[in-house]
Amino acid sequence: MPSTREEVDIAENVDVSPDSPWVVIVWNDPINLMSYVTFVLRKLFGYSLEKATQLMLDVHHKGRAVVSSGPRERAELDVYRLHEHGLWATMQKDGNDK
Amino acid sequence: MMRRRAPGPFQLQADGSYRINLPPDVRELLVHLFGELRDVLTQADTSDPALRRLFPAAYHDDPERDAEYQELMRSELVASRLTAISRVVEVVGDGDRLAAGDMDLLLQSLNAVRLLLGTMLDVSEDDGDGIVDGDDPDDPAAAQAHLYSYLGWLLEAAVAAAMGAVADGGNPPKLR
Repeated sequence: MPSTREEVDIAENVDVSPDSPWVVIVWNDPINLMSYVTFVLRKLFGYSLEKATQLMLDVHHKGRAVVSSGPRERAELDVYRLHEHGLWATMQKDGNDK
Repeated sequence: MMRRRAPGPFQLQADGSYRINLPPDVRELLVHLFGELRDVLTQADTSDPALRRLFPAAYHDDPERDAEYQELMRSELVASRLTAISRVVEVVGDGDRLAAGDMDLLLQSLNAVRLLLGTMLDVSEDDGDGIVDGDDPDDPAAAQAHLYSYLGWLLEAAVAAAMGAVADGGNPPKLR
C-alpha cells in the first residue's frame, strides 16, 4: 500500500547508477510554491534542506529534475506519493530521454 | 517600542502539534473549498482537463504503461485525497489543534485546491504574483485570483510551520 510507506531511505545522492533502471522526474509548473516543493522532497525522500532546495531550483530553472531512481515498482511508488502531494512527476527508463 | 506581531495561522507547538489561528470566516471558506474539491473528486470524470494537474500521467513517454498504471492507481489516489479532506475538514471546521501527522494532509488538501483553482485561472509561469490585476468586486475572475493568492499565502505559512521555521507569514492579503 503506497500510503503506508514512510520515509525510510535517506538518500543523499540520486545519481543514477547502472542497477537503477528507472528515474523519477519532477517537472516545472507555474502553480506549486517553491517552498512547498522543497518541503515535499524533504518529507518523501528524507533529503537535507540543501539537497531538496537544489533539486527544487533545478526544477524551477531547468524545467525538470531527477528526484529518485530505482526499480520500476519503487519508482511507481515514488510517483504515486508525489502525485498525492500534487507535484507533476513522471517516470521513465533511464536513458529514454525524451 | 516592540510591536507585537499577530501569530501565524499555524503555530508549531512543543509537542509537535500545531495551534490553528484562523478566524471563523476563513475556516468557513476552507471547509467550503474542501467540500468543492471533494465534489469534484467524487462526481466529475477524473479525466476532465480541469483536473489534469491533480492526476498527471506517470509514464509520460509510454501511453500503454500509463493506462495500466492509471487503472491501478487512480482510484487509490482519489481515495487518499478523500480521506485527507475529511480529516482536514474535521479539524479546520472548528478545531484549534492540528496533530503532527495531520499537517501533511492539510498541506496536500490546500495544495490540491490551489492546483484546481490555478488550472481554472490558467496561471502561467509569467504571472508571478501579478495575477490579481482587477479590483472590481463584481468580476468573478478577480475574486478567484484573490482567492488563489490568499491560498498561496496560507499554504506558504503552513509550509513554514511544518518546516519548523518561525511561522511568520506577515500580514495576510485582504480576503474579499
